[in-house]
Amino acid sequence: MQSDIPSRRWPWFAIGIAVAASVTVAMLSPADAVQGELVRIMYVHVPAAWLAYLAFGVTLIASIGYLLSRNLAWDRIAASSAEIGVYFTGLAIVLGMIWAKPTWGVWWTWDARLTLTAIMFFVYVGYLALRRTTDDRRARANRAAVLGVVGAVQIPLVHFSVVWWRTLHQPASILRPDGPAIQDPIMRVALLIAVIAFTVVYVSLMVKVAELHRVNDAAQAAEAGEHHPVAGASVTAPGLDPGVGNV
Amino acid sequence: MTPSFTSQVGAVVKRDLRRQRRRGDVLWITIPFGAVALLLMPLAVGTDAGLLQRIGPGMFWLTVMLFGVLVTVGRASVETQAQRDAASLLGLDPAAGYAGRSASAAALLLIYEVIVGAIAVVLYDIEVIGIPWLAVTLVLVAAGLGLLAALGASLVNSDSGGSALVPLLVAPLSVPLLLGATQAYEGLRLGSSILEWMLLMAAVVLSVAVVGVITARPLQES
Repeated sequence: MQSDIPSRRWPWFAIGIAVAASVTVAMLSPADAVQGELVRIMYVHVPAAWLAYLAFGVTLIASIGYLLSRNLAWDRIAASSAEIGVYFTGLAIVLGMIWAKPTWGVWWTWDARLTLTAIMFFVYVGYLALRRTTDDRRARANRAAVLGVVGAVQIPLVHFSVVWWRTLHQPASILRPDGPAIQDPIMRVALLIAVIAFTVVYVSLMVKVAELHRVNDAAQAAEAGEHHPVAGASVTAPGLDPGVGNV
Repeated sequence: MTPSFTSQVGAVVKRDLRRQRRRGDVLWITIPFGAVALLLMPLAVGTDAGLLQRIGPGMFWLTVMLFGVLVTVGRASVETQAQRDAASLLGLDPAAGYAGRSASAAALLLIYEVIVGAIAVVLYDIEVIGIPWLAVTLVLVAAGLGLLAALGASLVNSDSGGSALVPLLVAPLSVPLLLGATQAYEGLRLGSSILEWMLLMAAVVLSVAVVGVITARPLQES
């Protein structure tokens, strides 16, 4: 029993170490020549946006996995990832707004990236709301998997919005064909560490949330009596021996 | 003998439109609701004629997106699980059911667009230009929204009151249609090419139709 405790707690240790590493590098990295100390928001905003892509990408893959295999484990992965993705998308939006106020002068602007990210947020809020409309696990998994596939169209739309529409939000800083836009190597390393740290947080949360879904499903199944022996199971069917009971 | 796919689609369209003729909620509720929204908007943004003429087309498409979905929500809320099961037992192909429901929703949306569009033209003094392209835009938006709304209605469990969720599922996904429709009108007004916006809307219609048809059976089984 004692050996079980660390295995249950390791995600929290991983999250603690990752957050500590992320905060440390963000604080040690230099201030920006134009934005000054404000640039430190980048070390949370960019990884949060990356996690949104990652989480919804995993939801897409798990939804396809479910539709192909009908294994409910895929559905639990899709649901867990969408929950985490919604949280980090919300975080990216809020942090972006906090960053926008001093740099652009407004909390919100009708920029393609901002608007499409907000729309993506609501698509997955709808996904989570859809999951709450039925208690039937199989029906819930079928419906959510379809929306998990359809909703994923938002991911490339959000990512390439800064390329397709020339608006206020800057183009991609790291994932661009002509190399990273961030020139300072310390800043680049700090951002990379922050992205890795957030990814560790995502994996740790996935382990916990997926486990929560598994336990919840098991409790629901137990409540519905799926694993209870049926009353007739104790009664043996009469034998078909022609000499017995053939009155 | 099993009826062909097209005759199954036709039967579903006929059933939905007949049901709509009896209930009349699109004509007597949804269209008046859209008209009321168009009347209220100037009270919120100001009654300057130039401003209203400029924002009129956008306001019209917004009412189509937001209130047009109600056409399908109404249909989803009156169809019970027992009716769906009966259709399934009668051998209705789930894909034909989806195509039929989408087609009937698109037909009703087209009626909605034409009537509310005429009201918008009168109220906001909108310039009607490029009528053939405008007609194509109306058809593409009606088809796209009908397909999306029918898919949204298939996803929710209307028996447990889930039909209220359909607008939340459909509205964010209909953004490409809203962009295509408004930008096409803008292009017509400025005399620039609108082909890319037409292609965008056609691509949305095609991709939603494919997803809807492929997923019709698993959704019916759930």
